[in-house]
Amino acid sequence: MSVRTIARKDLADASRSKTLWAVTVVVLLSTAGITGLLAATSGMAAGEVFTLSFQLAVTTLPIVALILAKGAITAERESGSLRVLLSLPPSRRDILVGKLLGRTALMLVATLAGGLATGLVVLTFLGGTVGSLASFIGFLGLMSVAFVAIGVGISAGSASDSRATAVAVGAYMILVALWNLIQGAIQYGAVELGLMTSGSEPAWLQLIGLFPPNRAADAAYRATVEGQFFGTDPFASVWLPVLVLLAWLFVPVTAGYLRFRDAQIG
Amino acid sequence: MTDPAIEMNGLTKQFDDVTAVDSVDLTVESGEIFGFLGPNGAGKSTTINVLLDFVKPTSGTASMLGLDVSDERKTLHNRIGVVPEDYGLYDRLSGRRHVKLTAELKDADDNPDELLDRVGLSRDDANRPAGEYSTGMSQRLALATALVGAPDLLILDEPTSGLDPNGARELRNLIREENERGVTVFFSSHILEQVEAVADRVGIMNEGELAAVDSIDRLRQQLDTGAQVTLSVDREPERNLGDLPNVRDVDVVDGTVRGTCLEPAAKLRFIDRVREVTTVTDVRIEESSLEDLFASYTGEDTTDSQAEPVVSGGVA
Repeated sequence: MSVRTIARKDLADASRSKTLWAVTVVVLLSTAGITGLLAATSGMAAGEVFTLSFQLAVTTLPIVALILAKGAITAERESGSLRVLLSLPPSRRDILVGKLLGRTALMLVATLAGGLATGLVVLTFLGGTVGSLASFIGFLGLMSVAFVAIGVGISAGSASDSRATAVAVGAYMILVALWNLIQGAIQYGAVELGLMTSGSEPAWLQLIGLFPPNRAADAAYRATVEGQFFGTDPFASVWLPVLVLLAWLFVPVTAGYLRFRDAQIG
Repeated sequence: MTDPAIEMNGLTKQFDDVTAVDSVDLTVESGEIFGFLGPNGAGKSTTINVLLDFVKPTSGTASMLGLDVSDERKTLHNRIGVVPEDYGLYDRLSGRRHVKLTAELKDADDNPDELLDRVGLSRDDANRPAGEYSTGMSQRLALATALVGAPDLLILDEPTSGLDPNGARELRNLIREENERGVTVFFSSHILEQVEAVADRVGIMNEGELAAVDSIDRLRQQLDTGAQVTLSVDREPERNLGDLPNVRDVDVVDGTVRGTCLEPAAKLRFIDRVREVTTVTDVRIEESSLEDLFASYTGEDTTDSQAEPVVSGGVA
């Protein structure tokens, strides 16, 4: 009851934020625009365009999701409206879950709109199946929601909005922008330490490659396109990346909740 | 019914090595209007934060309406109305939406317009986003949300800040109205006149401790601060005025003679004695102010006089 009320309030409040919409529209239009350009000019097949567009979206959507989510708790904490909410019956868990649902709904609307626009551009120019569009939108949606959960978790665990912003940007840098470098460094270090031979790809290294939600979503999408749902190689199947994505949905936000539950709201 | 509205036993809150609240025992009876006074940093806010379960106490217990503030907070928060200190509103949502949201969260079926009327927020204003409100309007809206669900206990943290004198008077009337309905009101303030005008009893916090709890009249009597009598004289007296019963702290400053008189007859004796030695041109009498009362408990000096004492043996 109160969870739903808070979710609806949050949706109503956040969806009136012009900044949020401006960022969202710019990112989604650029994704759809670049995809449209590719579809119209490159002469690639629909599947290839979808794959490229997917890779573009997994770099841009995470920052939208993180920006949208990182203030969920901290902004209310700073404005003092959290003190009002906490004077009312809802518990901190109710508030956090309500906020998570509200921001998730908002992000899903943005992702679905952007994904549909992009997908329809491809389908119109190049044809292709509705099934490929569904998996394109589905995995983008799942990844966006994972980043919203990360952002809300960061917000719940932070004492101030500026701190939440810094941690959210850090999370983006590590998980999205710099993961190739990090993975490379780990690989190099492991070879130096004699944990693996150069050029080999042990399972743990592949798992590291799959660790960020954007990587997991990309892997899941590719596996779907190739029809590998429960294949012999878990890293080329759909189920393992989906498990990774599900973990991202719950683990950070739970950690954030535990910090928020014990926080002193002064 | 007979549960006290608020009960604290040995309530203590430490932040690192600072003791913000130091074993406070306080009972506020059901039906009272209780004023919670103290300078900034005295521990008022921390006490209220513990009552609202924003922070956990280091030791001691606190309950409101017979319910533990932490273990039974959900039931409790359905029965109280709160205007927290430094509260925030949702800038993009209308005033009416705020009241409706509160009603939904409290499972109450109040008519938002009726509550907004009671706090004096017009229909037009209620439809505007709260981000456009003045401080006074925000305060009225916060009060309207506190009244949602007909609470048994109102907790108002600095409710008069941001209100103009008219708004402050309306607030006092509202507090009295609610109190007549049977609501206990617990409000903190640093504006002493607001408290004096409406509170049955007051508690004064200082440095984390509850320095005094009583009615303002009784506190004033206990303090025995007396009245300050200031006499303008055409020349300063050249000899010692001598001891007078119930007259204390006699000073001669800048063409005036001042003394603190503890009872009415002492004022006359003091004036008579001064007239024996010089000519009195004017008389001014000040009863002890609330500020003095407050200062005597909190150790804050509100007067900055640099009086030269009349030394025994006369002024040379």
